[in-house]
Amino acid sequence: MKRFSVIIINLLLLLGVPALVCAAEGLEIPEELNKKINLANLSGISHFFAKWYNDSLWVYAIMVTLLMGIVGLTIAVCADVILNMIGMEVSKIEHLE
Amino acid sequence: MEIFQIYLPIAGMQFNALILVAIGFSVGVMGGFFGVGGAWVVTPALNAFGFPMAYAIGTDLAHMFGKSIVATAKHRKMGNVDAKLGILSIMGSVIGVEIGARNVMWLTKLGIAGPVVRYVYMVLLFGLGIYMLYDYATKDKRAAAQAAKVAVAARAGVTPPAKKSWNLPPMVHFPTSGITISFWSVTGVFLFTGWLSGFLGVGGGFIRMPALIYIIGCPTAIAVGTDLFSVLFTGAYGCLTYAVKGRVEIFAAILMLCGASIGAQIGVTAVKYIRGYGIRLLFAIMVLLAGISVCLKQFNYISGSQWMVMCAALGMCLVIIIKLYQGFKKEQAEKASYAAKEVKP
Repeated sequence: MKRFSVIIINLLLLLGVPALVCAAEGLEIPEELNKKINLANLSGISHFFAKWYNDSLWVYAIMVTLLMGIVGLTIAVCADVILNMIGMEVSKIEHLE
Repeated sequence: MEIFQIYLPIAGMQFNALILVAIGFSVGVMGGFFGVGGAWVVTPALNAFGFPMAYAIGTDLAHMFGKSIVATAKHRKMGNVDAKLGILSIMGSVIGVEIGARNVMWLTKLGIAGPVVRYVYMVLLFGLGIYMLYDYATKDKRAAAQAAKVAVAARAGVTPPAKKSWNLPPMVHFPTSGITISFWSVTGVFLFTGWLSGFLGVGGGFIRMPALIYIIGCPTAIAVGTDLFSVLFTGAYGCLTYAVKGRVEIFAAILMLCGASIGAQIGVTAVKYIRGYGIRLLFAIMVLLAGISVCLKQFNYISGSQWMVMCAALGMCLVIIIKLYQGFKKEQAEKASYAAKEVKP
């Protein structure tokens, strides 16, 4: 009997989440920002990114996301080496409160 | 300061590169230390210096992704990331955010979204801050009471009664955090924190971190690391979706990321020297200051609110760096005295 009630409660809880989503009001998507950048005064890397921004926002988005990951990882590795050199290395800690 | 002025082609404006690095650095220190994304600091700070709001949010999310990689990698090294709990938190939060966002749309239709969201925000920040301060102030008293209870039970030859908890199966075990809890409790907590972040329009780190400590029962350092792990995924998604809508200024994001990555290293390393309750106390102070900033915004002191949040962030950043320096010096002194004892026979 207890096992049966556990199954019933689990089922109700599982159904509760989609019910909450459906019960909420519809989501209105805001209009996109349709902007083109003037490339005339740009050169080098600024020109490169601005051109992709104008041509394809999807390619621009993927480039931005990848670049953030790569820059983050590179700085993480470099900073780790520097901190180790000055004796601020970290290792597993005890979780005391 | 003129030499630091750069042209940001996507936002189409001149901006001071030093300000971007400084904002990134201070929010990086706080992010690494508290395990939060820091959108509630970056967005008003950028906006205060004239960055358009649409780009401020997207650029903040982009730098947050890079920064959380740095901080999560370091927390993982310290054994502070509970990946299983993190993945569950992402799943629960996604559904919660969706419900929260739809509730806001409904309130917008009624024309009361702004004040309702701000009042909920204020109640949450002040409630959380005051509770955490109370928890900090009474920790010794509670520890003494618990010790006395255990001693009385030991004298009587019985085991002290266990805390009552909701144990509806299935139960889930999290070895890294050392807790076993009902799947429904964890999902419920993350659904609620996700709902709050969707409703308030914030990343949710500052809600999830205390929820992990006080409701799930995680050690503070693991709560910080696990929250950053979740921020990594939300940051990646946020970066992509805002960039697709053309709202990420890539040069500003990279400059902020440079500052934030260095700051995050400092923030995470500080967790080694400032333990559990110390982190909770500083977090409570920061949450209360953020609450005051929202109050100022509600009563139309917009620039006062922006400066308040920025000064609070810089002040907190300074406190964390000083504490880190003191802890490092103490550790060096202990190492030196230990080495001296080793040399002496």
